[in-house]
Amino acid sequence: MRILLTYIFVLLLLPAAGCTDFVEPNQLAFVMGTAIDYAGDGSIEVNFQIVIPSQMSGPFKGGSSGDSDNFVVLSAVGRDIFEASQKIQKKTSRRLMTNHRIVIAISEEFFNKNDVSKLFDKLGRDPANNLRDVIILVKGSKAKDFLMLKHPMEHLSSIAAGKELLINDMKSFSSREFILDSVSEGTRPLVPVMQIEKIRLSGNKTKQIAVVSGFAVLNKKLKVQDILDNSEGSAAAWMAGKGSADGITIPWKDGSGTLSFRLTHPERRIRSVRGNDPKHLILTVKAQAYLLENKTPLDMYNVEDVVEVQKYMNEQIQKELQQTMDRVRQRGSDVFGFGEYLHRKHPYWWKSQKNDWDETFKETDVMVKADILLRSVGASGSQLK
Amino acid sequence: MKVSGYQMFWLISVSSIISTSYLPLKLAAEESRQDCWISILLGGIIMMAVTGVMLRVCMQNQGKTLVAFMKDLMGTVLGKALVTIYFLLWFMQMFTIARGMTEFQNLVMLHRTPMSVILLFMLFLVAYAVYRGGITAVSRCAEVIGPIFVFILFVQLFLNPQDMDFKRVLPIYADSGWFHIVKGAFKAYSYMVDPSIILMLFFFVEIKRTAARAILWGTAIPILWGVLAALVLISVTGPVIGAELITPVYTISKFVSILNFVQNIDAFFIPLWLLGAFIKLAVGLFVLSYGLSEWTGFKNWKLIACLTTFVWMACLIYSTHNIRMSYTLKNPFLNGYFYPIAFFVLPLLMWIIGSIRQRTKA
Repeated sequence: MRILLTYIFVLLLLPAAGCTDFVEPNQLAFVMGTAIDYAGDGSIEVNFQIVIPSQMSGPFKGGSSGDSDNFVVLSAVGRDIFEASQKIQKKTSRRLMTNHRIVIAISEEFFNKNDVSKLFDKLGRDPANNLRDVIILVKGSKAKDFLMLKHPMEHLSSIAAGKELLINDMKSFSSREFILDSVSEGTRPLVPVMQIEKIRLSGNKTKQIAVVSGFAVLNKKLKVQDILDNSEGSAAAWMAGKGSADGITIPWKDGSGTLSFRLTHPERRIRSVRGNDPKHLILTVKAQAYLLENKTPLDMYNVEDVVEVQKYMNEQIQKELQQTMDRVRQRGSDVFGFGEYLHRKHPYWWKSQKNDWDETFKETDVMVKADILLRSVGASGSQLK
Repeated sequence: MKVSGYQMFWLISVSSIISTSYLPLKLAAEESRQDCWISILLGGIIMMAVTGVMLRVCMQNQGKTLVAFMKDLMGTVLGKALVTIYFLLWFMQMFTIARGMTEFQNLVMLHRTPMSVILLFMLFLVAYAVYRGGITAVSRCAEVIGPIFVFILFVQLFLNPQDMDFKRVLPIYADSGWFHIVKGAFKAYSYMVDPSIILMLFFFVEIKRTAARAILWGTAIPILWGVLAALVLISVTGPVIGAELITPVYTISKFVSILNFVQNIDAFFIPLWLLGAFIKLAVGLFVLSYGLSEWTGFKNWKLIACLTTFVWMACLIYSTHNIRMSYTLKNPFLNGYFYPIAFFVLPLLMWIIGSIRQRTKA
């Protein structure tokens, strides 16, 4: 008996290392970015940006300085993502691995002509997706072009986009949150927009580069309803509770100079007006401001001036946010989550309203209030002359 | 073979957490959406009560196992016939867990390894542990694995603070209503904790009183974990996605991103779940084969354990060809008759008969 058991043990030990599924790192193709484009009647074009490890230099050397590329973009057309990926797999020598992807770029055309929610199933069903990658909308060109770009500072355009969003503190736009927003009844998604721009880098060299240029407001069917520019976009993100640490510049009274602040700790709170009327809402935004540039005659070592600045800054920000709010509200896409707020606050009222919330939202009266604290006036009193 | 109260606690809590983390969350969330934590809590309370009744039955019949005292209480023929319900229950649990485990490994990591190889490893290990040491070996393993396993599973729930938004749990009650909450609880309770194994295991316990307390704690902690896991699941994924996740705890572990640096730690959790599954399967196999040996009167339960493993493995391999056999979670017969009989009717019946007998004797 003992001998028999020993034999079984030895026999089992051989496959126990799991070599049947062993894939060396040099047999893997790391997909860092995916681009989704429209390819006519219901089919989609999938593009994978894949790193070429042998061409990668250290993290500090950066940039694609030499002639050789350090990435390839492979694309294929299919009826769904998997079919297209399989076609791409046929073109590569290595196993495609999407677990470490940073960005999913979707072109504006795809948003408008195809149903984006069809992409969700693959993201949720296949364990090879991490749902931590960021979804961005590429405006004005194919999403593929975005992946093709070389970035002057980073190895890959998708790493650059990921870092750009991170450094600008836009953390709440992962594909998980995108799916969450689009399946919930009382919120519409807000998607960061990237656009390819030509910039002059040095001397006569011009280069195309992808820059963050605002946010897209989507409706219930995930079609692009409106595209907000950078300042309106960050205002909308702030009011949607996805705010980022940001800067703001306001003109001082009578056009005598400007004041610039750095804003940190952005927050927002929704509440109903007294009487619990669901159609009258107040949205309060909060932040902490640091004065970093002063071109007005004010002396910031004088308490009266400081009080006045805080008051005026609040009024100005309130005015600007209210404009953005009204613009988005007129389109009827509730990216701020008022619907979710009402869903939680008045659940039974919500049941009768949720099917035409977009229409109701247009008629809802929303007042924006700013409650911003001036934390610091910087390191000098009045303007140096 | 003797088991201490401390070992009993870990045996019960590990094997209960394993099943709680796998099936009931989805079954409850499908019905009651963001109120699934109430369903889990309700199901947990039901199961606590069932555990209480079963403990009473065990205390009334100290010194006998389930097979012996059922024969005692209900007569040889009826007792022997009814005890097969529990044999079937244990076998089904072993079947579900082993099948879920291999399917999960095939899906997530081992795409090319044949299912039978993965099965062979696990089942050989389980059979070997039961064959060599019986419940002593299994409870020793539980004593070592248990603390690590339970602790890390609790820690895991708090690794996604940046993704959590507890407002997603709101509104409580209004969206689902009591009907769906109760329905969710009744779909989920039978897969949550597993008190029926104590009917067999209590016989092996040394000090009955401390063991009873250990069993109650061992049931309460997985329920607490289940309620917390439901709350975390809803606050991370929201009710709509949460209701669709087949392996919710795994999916939550994939979202973990600590300081944008510690990511993809699911590979670390999978071996841990395997250790837990080992305990659950080994307890199941021991209980089933010891029961079968008493039932048939064939003294060599170790041989029965080996034979059961073969049957078990054959069923698992056959089930891959017969999909209906492996999706019994929502089977109306099981939910409507089988589980209520196993968890409510029989324990209550035994308790009542036992009480009447005690009274007439006194």
